[in-house]
Amino acid sequence: MNSNSTPAQVSDPVGSKETPPQTSPEDNRRDHWALRLLTASSAGRNLGLVLAFGLLCLVGYATAPERFIDVDNFMTILRLASVIGVVSIGMTFVITGGGIDLSVGAILALSSVWATTLATQTLADDTHWIVMVSTALLVGAGCGLVNGLLVAYGKVVPFIATLAMLASARGLAEILSDRRTQIITAQGFADFFRADVVGVPVLVIMFALVAIAGWVLLNRTTFGRRTFAVGGNIEAARLAGINVHRHTVMLYVLVGVCCGIAAIMLMARTTTGSSTHGTLYELDAIAAVVIGGTLLSGGRGTIGGTVLGVLIFTTLSNVFTMNNLSISAQAVAKGVIIVIAVLLQQRFANRSSSP
Amino acid sequence: MSDRTLPLRRRLLMSTAAMLTIGVVAAGCTSNTPEAVNDETSGNQNAASGSNDETGETVTIGFSAPAADHGWMAQITAAAKAEAEKFEDVELVVAEGTNDVSVQISQVETFINDQVDAIVLLPFDGAALTPVALKAMESGIPVINVDREFESPFAARATVLGDNYGMGVSAGTYICEQIGDNKDAVVAEIAGIDSLPLTQDRSQGFADALSDCGLDVDNRVAAEFTVESGERAASNLLQAAPQIDAIWNHDDDQGVGVMAAIENSGRDEFFVVGGAGSRNVMEAIQSGDSLIQATVVYPATQGADGIRLARLVAQDKALTDLVEVEVPRKIVLYAPVVTEENVEQFLPTAFQS
Amino acid sequence: MTVPEKDAAALLEMRGIVKEFPGVRALDGVDLDVRVGEVHCLLGQNGAGKSTLIKVLAGAHRPDEGEIWWEGEKVDLSSPTAAIKQGIATIYQELDLVDGLTVAENIYLGHELSRGGLLRASEARRKAQAILERLGHGEIRVGQEVGKLSPAGKQIVSMARALSRDARLIVMDEPSAVLDQEEVGNLFRVIAELTRDGVAVVYISHRLQEVKEIGDRVTVLKDGSTVSTGLDAKSTSTADLIHLMTGRSIEYVFPDRRPPAPGAPVVLEVDGLALDGTFHDVAFEVRAGQIVGLAGLVGAGRSEILETVYGARKASAGSVRVDGKRLRPGSVHTAVAAGIGLAPEERKSQGLLLDHAVYRNISVSSMTRFARAGFLGSKQERIAAAEITRSLDVRPAGVDQAVRTLSGGNQQKVVLARWLMRHCRVLLLDEPTRGVDVGARSEIYALVRSLADQGVAVVVVSSEVEEVLGLADQVLVVREGEIVHRGPAQEITEHQVLDLVMAGSAA
Repeated sequence: MNSNSTPAQVSDPVGSKETPPQTSPEDNRRDHWALRLLTASSAGRNLGLVLAFGLLCLVGYATAPERFIDVDNFMTILRLASVIGVVSIGMTFVITGGGIDLSVGAILALSSVWATTLATQTLADDTHWIVMVSTALLVGAGCGLVNGLLVAYGKVVPFIATLAMLASARGLAEILSDRRTQIITAQGFADFFRADVVGVPVLVIMFALVAIAGWVLLNRTTFGRRTFAVGGNIEAARLAGINVHRHTVMLYVLVGVCCGIAAIMLMARTTTGSSTHGTLYELDAIAAVVIGGTLLSGGRGTIGGTVLGVLIFTTLSNVFTMNNLSISAQAVAKGVIIVIAVLLQQRFANRSSSP
Repeated sequence: MSDRTLPLRRRLLMSTAAMLTIGVVAAGCTSNTPEAVNDETSGNQNAASGSNDETGETVTIGFSAPAADHGWMAQITAAAKAEAEKFEDVELVVAEGTNDVSVQISQVETFINDQVDAIVLLPFDGAALTPVALKAMESGIPVINVDREFESPFAARATVLGDNYGMGVSAGTYICEQIGDNKDAVVAEIAGIDSLPLTQDRSQGFADALSDCGLDVDNRVAAEFTVESGERAASNLLQAAPQIDAIWNHDDDQGVGVMAAIENSGRDEFFVVGGAGSRNVMEAIQSGDSLIQATVVYPATQGADGIRLARLVAQDKALTDLVEVEVPRKIVLYAPVVTEENVEQFLPTAFQS
Repeated sequence: MTVPEKDAAALLEMRGIVKEFPGVRALDGVDLDVRVGEVHCLLGQNGAGKSTLIKVLAGAHRPDEGEIWWEGEKVDLSSPTAAIKQGIATIYQELDLVDGLTVAENIYLGHELSRGGLLRASEARRKAQAILERLGHGEIRVGQEVGKLSPAGKQIVSMARALSRDARLIVMDEPSAVLDQEEVGNLFRVIAELTRDGVAVVYISHRLQEVKEIGDRVTVLKDGSTVSTGLDAKSTSTADLIHLMTGRSIEYVFPDRRPPAPGAPVVLEVDGLALDGTFHDVAFEVRAGQIVGLAGLVGAGRSEILETVYGARKASAGSVRVDGKRLRPGSVHTAVAAGIGLAPEERKSQGLLLDHAVYRNISVSSMTRFARAGFLGSKQERIAAAEITRSLDVRPAGVDQAVRTLSGGNQQKVVLARWLMRHCRVLLLDEPTRGVDVGARSEIYALVRSLADQGVAVVVVSSEVEEVLGLADQVLVVREGEIVHRGPAQEITEHQVLDLVMAGSAA
């Protein structure tokens, strides 16, 4: 590893991005930005995950060489990963902040149903499908707000508050849709979201944008820093002057908005809104976040790990289908992967220090 | 964004229009010819044409079914209600649909207390409802068991069952006919929830029928009866099999997702056979420009059949097309294949997914 | 080390016990000997090592060095079970009872009476009842849930549990702290009965009067070692005991006082502040550059006063003003915005994000300064943090390591660095040197003084009277939620302060 680093320019707070060729001895404790990126972000601490993912791809290649190593197939994997991926990124924030959200799947269902009711769709026909999109986002944010207020100000344990939201949001979705599958009629919606941009599906681009935005938000903003602080030690964060209540509310609104985005994406994937959308997404998302290396008790989280976690599960199901294996075998493999990933994770986490 | 009444009203309109007993071979109590039912969407004419349908002594029938959390189940209750309305001598008492076994048991107990003349019961769990059905039978109230069978033969006077194995057979036979002699044809199957016996029955029937004509299932994936899972399973399936000749999808509800995935892939070298028989699939078949060529019906009208049988039993009548003096003990419904040719007959009884 | 002399009545002998925690030598050669049937009082200021010593005795901590002799045999108290097996029972300050279980179940918790795996509940109830009667508390029903008992009742149950194990030695950690006068009388009667039966008691209390009343002999600890052992409790004067507790073997270096400029503005004004059930009518002001010290016993309300000023607790009455502007009660956020900073008592659980990097712990209260539209420039942040850690001489020097890896003194410096970075106007320090090893203390003192010299108004709370007197310009003595004395630090002695805080609380 090339460990060149910028000299400690205390007088120059901005510093320069360029790496000077010389290394001065006193700078040894300041790492190269790339090394820092590796350790502070995903790849370094997620070495175990990268290995697991690589191994999975190898199995895919060995068992179905032409069909697995195929641009179309990779796009399919990414497209299938995109919806749960966006939900998991929201979940990464709330878990890093010391909470949990069991209602993500239900919020997704409610957003999709509300956005595809005849009223919304008719409105969209007359005006624009933007109405459907903003409806989904608003419903997601609204549910998140309720969760956040209950947790932060109502002092309801996150597990319970979001469990209640899980039940009522899905129930409301069933009432609104009369338990029917609501097919999207507004053509503009499908035209936009089901399209490809130079061979890359719009859904995959959305996932990538959310992931990048999530990474920046978590690692490069005061919001992200406060999330780590609140999740790491809420009392210390409070005594340090952070408005922990307001921050908690914002975390749940954020995950709600992610569910709204995911709802739009799932609506595009299936061309429907349904109260059965997102069933058990909460468990898939939590699994992806946790094998990604985010601490379930809060204070440590990585977006890169979460993305890898989602990709591992999606690729797993792809590889199994390639080999015509049953859902049950897939479930077994999923369990084994969770355990192996978490064990590897601990091994590597112990070696390198915390953020 | 808060207008929820519109879609509900539209749906109500559709579900009330769908009440026929066709496709139900053994249950036909009058003339069973297609013409008799073809001309009208309402089954009233059908009901008026035989002596059995003449108004007799008024009977009260209690009806209980699980919650309508699936298009098919919603149609079961709707069709039963509509069937009862056709008869002036039937007074139908419908209990609120529930997936709570204890609630359903208490519903049946209420029917017993109220001394109804017959009970039509689609149990959420056949085993759990057996004791209370036995109790009803012992107190002299005939029970008509629909779709999910009781554990004891003494718990029901008559039983109406769909045929999951038969669905697989029908789908497999249809695909054999379509593919003809091409023994190398690739057949794919998208099953429902794999752990359910009904899914296993359907797959078994499908495999048996295919092997009869020398074919087999080359690629099989399982979904979860939801649109989203259908889309996911189908997307992966299409990647796993670069060339497919025919796909059977067990369930038209998840089929919406399956078709979305197929459309997204841009593939069209195969044809698709559906399952259960939803309205939008039948409309797609009717339009003729969809990859869906056919669907296999799992009748959503069995509740309506149950009402008819209950009325006959309570009025001491028999199925007039049979020689027997009494209503048969068990009726297993046929799983017909709906294609462009006969879709007109089935559309009125299709369920809205 | 020589084998201790065989004393017929000797029950327990501890010799040269050493226990080290990262950064702190909690016990540094402690000797203690306890005879059969005596009440042996253990005295010492907070942080002298009493709690660590009884944990060693209870088998909860293993000593790094030293020997423990039990009835003339060398023993290894490797676990709580091993200690209990020897006949050592400990009644902790925070009672270790299970609220949801009954009195009888609690008494036999961990050594349930059973036959063939089945509980013999009725026998347990009968025996429990007998023990309670022996303690003079037959009125406590053995079938009652412990959670519904009064604190005194719980104390009795705890004691009954110790007796149920046929303990030869019972360690009581400040048992009178939760009892009222009448109950204390009862407790003493029970102790007298126990000792008559040959049970030895190690009794820890801050109330010197109690020591005189029931104690036979006294051992005094200071700074982790024994300063005197085997003193006669009745004949040793209170003054001597206090002297033993306070006299220093290690002299801390306190920085020179530089009294605030005569015209220095009042920064913090506290008026009529009260917190229901804890303290009332607390009023004081702190000027720029002034250090005000709060002395008092644990539980006297010192920490609560600081936390209420800070807004971490919501005052039930009174006001807090910074630069004349009144703060919203119960809002840490506004207090910090107004320029107050707190270094909390429980540094690890309340002050620090242990697994997070040093620089993040420092910048957590002032990160908006490094942010543009919410985006953090972590480079400037690190540089600023590095500058401060360098000026505070935090070791090791890197700002990217987790705070957990630092010693107590350096962790405290990180907390101070946080408020230094924020340029706060008022600094509240709660036990600033707890868990800080002796060498690093002087550095902390110097740091606090230099902050004051830069115009920060400082309030220091400490259980160590010497620290308050050495550091502060002005001293407030708190007893039972009330300020009982205020005056310049130079005009009162350690002895006088101890008299004020202890004498008043004697039963």
